[in-house]
Order: sequence, then structure tokens, then C-alpha cells
Amino acid sequence: MPPILSLHQVTKQYPGVLALDNVDFSLDKGEVRALLGKNGAGKSTLVKILSGANQPDSGEIRIDDKPVSIPDTRAAFDMGICTVYQEMSLVPGLTVAENILLGRWPQLRLGAFSMIDHAKIRKIARGALDQLEVTLNLDEQVSRLSIAQQQLVEIAKAISFSPRVMVLDEPTSALPAGEVAVLHKVVRRLAEQGHGIIYVTHRLQEIPRVADTVTVLRDGKVVGTIQVAEATPKRIANMMIGADWQPTEWGAKSNPGAVKLAVRHLNRKGWLNDVTFELYGGEVLGIAGLLGSGRTELVRAIFGADAIDSGEIQVNGTIVSHPSPNRMKANGIGLTPEDRKRQGLILPFAVLDNLTLASLNRLNIHGILQRQRAQGLAMGMVESLSIKTASLSVPTGTLSGGNQQKVVIGNWLNTQPDVLLMDEPTRGIDIQAKEQIFHLVRDLAQQGIGILFISSEIEEVLEVADRILVMNRGYLTHQFRRGEIDLETLMTLVMEEIGHGQDTASTSPASVAAPHA
Amino acid sequence: MVKTQQVRAQPALLRRTREFIARSGLLVALIVLFGLLAIFAPNFLLPTNLFNVLRAVAVNGIIACAMTFVIISGDIDVSVGSAVAWSSSLLGILAITLKIPLLLAVGIVLAQGALIHMGAGFIRVRWSIPAFVVTLALYISLSGMAKVVTNAYPITPFPESFSFWGQGYVLGIIPVPAVLMLITIAIFQFLSTRTVFGRSVYSVGGNEEASRLSGIPVGRTRIIIFALSGLMAALGGIIISSRVMAGVYNVGQGLEFDVIAAVVIGGTSLAGGSGSMIGSFLGVLFIGLLSNGMTLMGVPPYWQEVARGLIVLFAVLFSAWQKPIRK
Repeated sequence: MPPILSLHQVTKQYPGVLALDNVDFSLDKGEVRALLGKNGAGKSTLVKILSGANQPDSGEIRIDDKPVSIPDTRAAFDMGICTVYQEMSLVPGLTVAENILLGRWPQLRLGAFSMIDHAKIRKIARGALDQLEVTLNLDEQVSRLSIAQQQLVEIAKAISFSPRVMVLDEPTSALPAGEVAVLHKVVRRLAEQGHGIIYVTHRLQEIPRVADTVTVLRDGKVVGTIQVAEATPKRIANMMIGADWQPTEWGAKSNPGAVKLAVRHLNRKGWLNDVTFELYGGEVLGIAGLLGSGRTELVRAIFGADAIDSGEIQVNGTIVSHPSPNRMKANGIGLTPEDRKRQGLILPFAVLDNLTLASLNRLNIHGILQRQRAQGLAMGMVESLSIKTASLSVPTGTLSGGNQQKVVIGNWLNTQPDVLLMDEPTRGIDIQAKEQIFHLVRDLAQQGIGILFISSEIEEVLEVADRILVMNRGYLTHQFRRGEIDLETLMTLVMEEIGHGQDTASTSPASVAAPHA
Repeated sequence: MVKTQQVRAQPALLRRTREFIARSGLLVALIVLFGLLAIFAPNFLLPTNLFNVLRAVAVNGIIACAMTFVIISGDIDVSVGSAVAWSSSLLGILAITLKIPLLLAVGIVLAQGALIHMGAGFIRVRWSIPAFVVTLALYISLSGMAKVVTNAYPITPFPESFSFWGQGYVLGIIPVPAVLMLITIAIFQFLSTRTVFGRSVYSVGGNEEASRLSGIPVGRTRIIIFALSGLMAALGGIIISSRVMAGVYNVGQGLEFDVIAAVVIGGTSLAGGSGSMIGSFLGVLFIGLLSNGMTLMGVPPYWQEVARGLIVLFAVLFSAWQKPIRK
């Protein structure tokens, strides 16, 4: 029997990146294939090509052994390939049934008038949900559903197109641990019904539960496809990383000073579980964790951007009550947020404005802005961080990603912080800019600033951090000093799933020891 | 070092020139309108007529300053018309019915204007209620309150000296309201460009989350903006009371939309983050000149309304056409 879907020598080139390099791939009827790879390995490009959002430069896609082309998303649907993305595409104000048939509502015609045929909508939607064997109230507003339920609606919507192949792009990354099992059951059921399923994931633990086979991508190439029985975490991590990788040795050793930031028993329901650690001046503390591990929630909680349920934050030995960004700034803490375009910068504003946003409250006399001083401060940052910009007055949105990131960092350095929380400072910037950010981070630590460094790229954490905390499902699960752990082991630890039966004591180190103890 | 700064300061000048050119669409329109009216509208160019225009637009100009802040911050305030009526009524009650010294009464009216709007701003911020809804509620209740305290009758008479603020002249020819408007614009121009508060207004409207994460007190900034809006509406109510020499429950009705229209014509984006006081001033002038010219040419008042509406539409279309369409 020919495979339901196959790719032959598919190549896709983006400016500067070979995203897919002669990829061969085939999927059988009733097979669940887990697709793994680091960020940038080519997973999302593959998904985009299958969903019709992107076209390959060369190569062939076959469905039931017949060559096809997928010029747009509509064509993908027509050929029976349905993609369910991480970001939901549901309309919150409409009902479950209306969402499942969004854009294809059957009409009742009454002469010149037509109205929506709700009975028919319900009937078709019911059929899709029955196929998944899940029960949901068809008339419930989608905004009232849990995220897992919304995901099921999304899948039901895909099912209503009667697809042959279904692509699920990291369907569990936003799900609470308890709701993952429901999704896995649905995926297995769809496979039994003869659908072919491509399941993109980062979580190693769910592979044996849901997949039959595993394909690993690296640098746009297929590293290999193995049976799930052979897919040990160690083996998969090895396939993902490839050749021996060693972090660069930094010439200067870090010289940790006093405790700058102490976090004690921080809790936020569903996100943070009894998080306790200390950050020393002059050290780079890396947090290794997947998207959804609670790493962003942790730094936002420390910075007072999100409310916490309980816990204590000490800065330079003093407890900060009712933390808010403003108060944390006054205490010498800065945060460069995860999403620089939405949270870190005001893109249409001038570089000057963005570089002084956080320090406006120091650059004034009785509320009147000291423009010369602001200009000088911004100019100094442009020089010391070598920000490439035509002038201080161009809109920040016109800068390259790396330079935008430097503006975000410069904005905070202008407040002369003791502690800098850096959430994914290297996301979406080129290699050269990354190198510059690494050096900057090391330099800042040398100057005595305590740095909390988050990155999805585990190599980057190993590269810059003096100490590493592993974060998983809201728990700090392990900690290591620089050199104590290799990449492969760290990656397995980061991707391992914590079950919801585990108690706090065994998964969260009571306290994290001093780096120079 | 000093030298580099001066060298780099050059583009800021360039940028301002470019901004001026972007704004000058309105300036050119204003000049063309002025020229047309000079030719076609009888008596238009008489100094007394031109100063009358300035007097006529003064209250709108004053309120437009605060409205510019409101709109730059991404909010809207539809209550200012009612706040004018309420302030005028309250001033009548305090100074005439209750015989409180006029100066004190004026002080109280200004203070309550700021305070009531501050309250509305607090509700807006504390419960994240859209500004439109909060100020709509305020609009309805203040309009009602004005009728409650006055029984829907004008309250007279104010002391003769009070007429100076609405009807008087400086240097024998410049109307006092026009002077008050120019002073207000100067202050707001300074606030918006030179103060931490002013820059915070732009930041909050440009990207609220980024501002919050930069430790800018977003809530406090919004509440102050609202307070300024209430304060300027109260000042407007006092000037109108002086012009008509009575506390009147229905003055300023519909004024909010003329003000918002002027601000929008002036290039302030309803999406927040950008705009300028000078632009709003030009917008107010444009609407004022147009109304004056149409009156001089004998256009019936109802048709004038239609024309004003179309002008707003054209202004917005023009600015949409100037900008490249974003994805």
C-alpha cells in the first residue's frame, strides 16, 4: 500500500537560511508520526508547506502516490490535509457549533432572503465531535471553554473537512498537564479511524503515549526516522543535537558578589510552584525550560508584571511588598521582555524615546524633561552597545531585530540596574547579533550586575550561564554549575514531563546553594 | 562628545521638518480655505470678523488641548459637552443662588471639574472599562445634573465685571477667550513635548504594555489626563457663562463631537500614540473658519452641519491616503 502522504527531495530556501534541505518523508494510513527538532530545525517550514502557507522551491509532494501542488491553504483543505496550529483560530464570541463550521455556515433560503440554518450547523458539528468521541455543549460560547476544550473544537473543525492527513503543531504546549491525556486519546482514535497524523512536539515524554514513529529534523535535514520503541530520550536528544558541541570557554571567570535577588516560595496557581532561588551580583544565572515551563511567568512575577498568589521577593536583602514594574525598577531590577515588539518597544517611536522610556523618571527636574541629558544617555548607549541606527530619531521599528533587542537592553541599562531579567533576548535575531548579546551579557556580569538569562536554545544557556536552573511545568527541578552538565543530559531534563501526581518536595530543590560555597 | 551630540541633533531638526510637512496638508488646506473665504465671503477679512472667529473657537480650542491628550493615550472622552453645561449651571448656582464670592465659585467649579473626571479616570483604569462607556455614562448624568440643579432655567445675573472673561478684550481688540486659548495651547504644547508626563502620554497610547513594563505609571498617567479633560471643560463652562452672563443647563451641547472632529482633523490618531497640540489648534481653526465663512455667505445652519460632517470624513480619508497601507 502506498503511503498516504510523501515528500521527495523537498527544499525550501529563505534569505540566508536553507530551511529544508532535500527532505524525504512519508506517512502511512493510521500512523501517528512525531516530528521533533530544535527551534529552526525546519519543523515549522515543513508544516507551512503542508498547509499551503508556503511553497517549496523544489521537490515533490505526493498524496496517495499522486504528485500534487499545494498553492494555498484552501487547496490543502481540498486535498485532505488539515493543520491545527498552536495559536487558535476560534472566534471566542461564537458557539462551539458555529466555530466548527466557521465561514461555511449552511443557509436556509426563503425567496429573496436567506438565514443561517442552525439545525444543520448543529448536526454537522455534532458529527465531528462524535467522531472524536468527546462531549461538548454545541451551544456553549467558545470563550467559556478551557484551553483543552478549545483545542478539541479546533480539531473538530479540522475533522469536519474529512481530512486524510492531520498536522498538529505543538498541540500540548499550552495545555495544563491534566488535560494532555484527553488530547492524546483523541489523536489515537483518529489514527485508528485511518487518518495519518503528523504530531509536532517538544515534549519527549508524550512520544511513547501518542506516536508510532519519530522523525527528527536538524538544520533542515531529516536526521532519521525511528520506531517509537527505539526512541529513548537520550537517543532523540542525540539526534537533535548532532555532533559534539562544547560551550565556548570564557576567558574571565565570573566573580559572584552578594545576593542581589532572593526569591522564596513563589506560587502562582497553574504556573509557578514553590519557586525558590537566589541570584548573585556578577553572575549569569540561566534558566533552561521549554515554552510553557513557567520561565516567562517567573520573571514576570519577580518583576511585578503579573500578580502572585504567595511568596516573597527580596532585593538587596529587603523584601519588596506589592511588587509592580514601577516599584521593581525603583529597587534596581530591569526586565527585557520576551516579545520585544509587543512588550519591549514602542515600535513607531524614535530610538531616543525607546532608549529612555524606563529612565524618564530620572531624566527630569520637577517633571520637565532634560532633553540634553536624555540625548546624551541615549547616544552613549548607541555607542557602547554599538546599535546600528542612522540617528536617534528614526523609528525603532525600522531597525534590525538584533538592534531592536539592543535598544530594549539599553533602555534598561540606562536605569543602572543591579539585576537584569532577560527573557529570550536572542529570539529571532541573527547569529552575529546573538554573539554580541552573549558578550554583552558576560560584560554586564563582569560589571557586577546579576543576570537572569532565559533562552529556548539550551546551547545558549550552557554558553553564557555560570549556573543553570532547569524549569519544568512551573517547578525548578534541577540546578547545575557551569561545566557540571552536558548538552544532551540538559536537553533530556528540559524535555522530560513532570506528571501531575508528583509532590512538590521531590521536584523542587528546597533552596539553591551559593555558587561559591 | 558635545560635538557628536550636535552633529546627531541635526536629524531631529530634519524629522521635525518632515513632521511639519506631514502636518502641512492641513496647513495648506487652511490657507486655501482662508484665500477662498477672503475672495467669496463678504467682510471676511475685517479684523473684527477674524477676531470673532478666534473668540468663537476659543472654548473648543481649550477643550481640544486636553482631548488631544485623551486621544493620544488611546482613550476618548465624550462627556466634555455635558461637563461644560454642568459647570456653567454649577457656577450660576454657587455665585448667584448661594451668593458665594465669584472668585471662590470659579475655583470650586474648576476643582470639581478635575475631580469628577479624575473619578471617571479611576474607574476607567481600575476596572479596565472602555473610556467611551465611562464617559458616556458621565455625559448622561452630568447633563441630567445640570437640569436638576437649575430646573432647566438659566440662572442670572452675574456681576457686570464677570463679562470680561467671555466678552472682554485685551489691547482693545484681542478677545479674552482667544488669549486664554492661546495660553492653554502654549501650556499643553510644553506639557506634551517637554515633560515626563507628556512623553508618558504618548508612550501609554503607543504601547501600553511596553510602557507598563518600563515602569511608567500607566494608570496614574491616564487619571491625570482625565483630570485635565475635566479641568478644561470646567474652564470652558466658565468662559461660556461669562459670554452669555448666565448659568445655563444646555450650553456646550454637542460640543464634544466638534472637539473630537477638530483633534482628528489635526492629525491625532484615534489608535493612540501620535498627535500634536498644534495640529489640534489648526483643526479647531479650520472648523471655525469654515463655519464663519459659511455664515457670512448665508449658508443655512443645517447645511453647515452637513458640510462640517463631510469635512471630517475628507480629512480622515486624506490622512489614510497619505499613509502607506499597513498589513
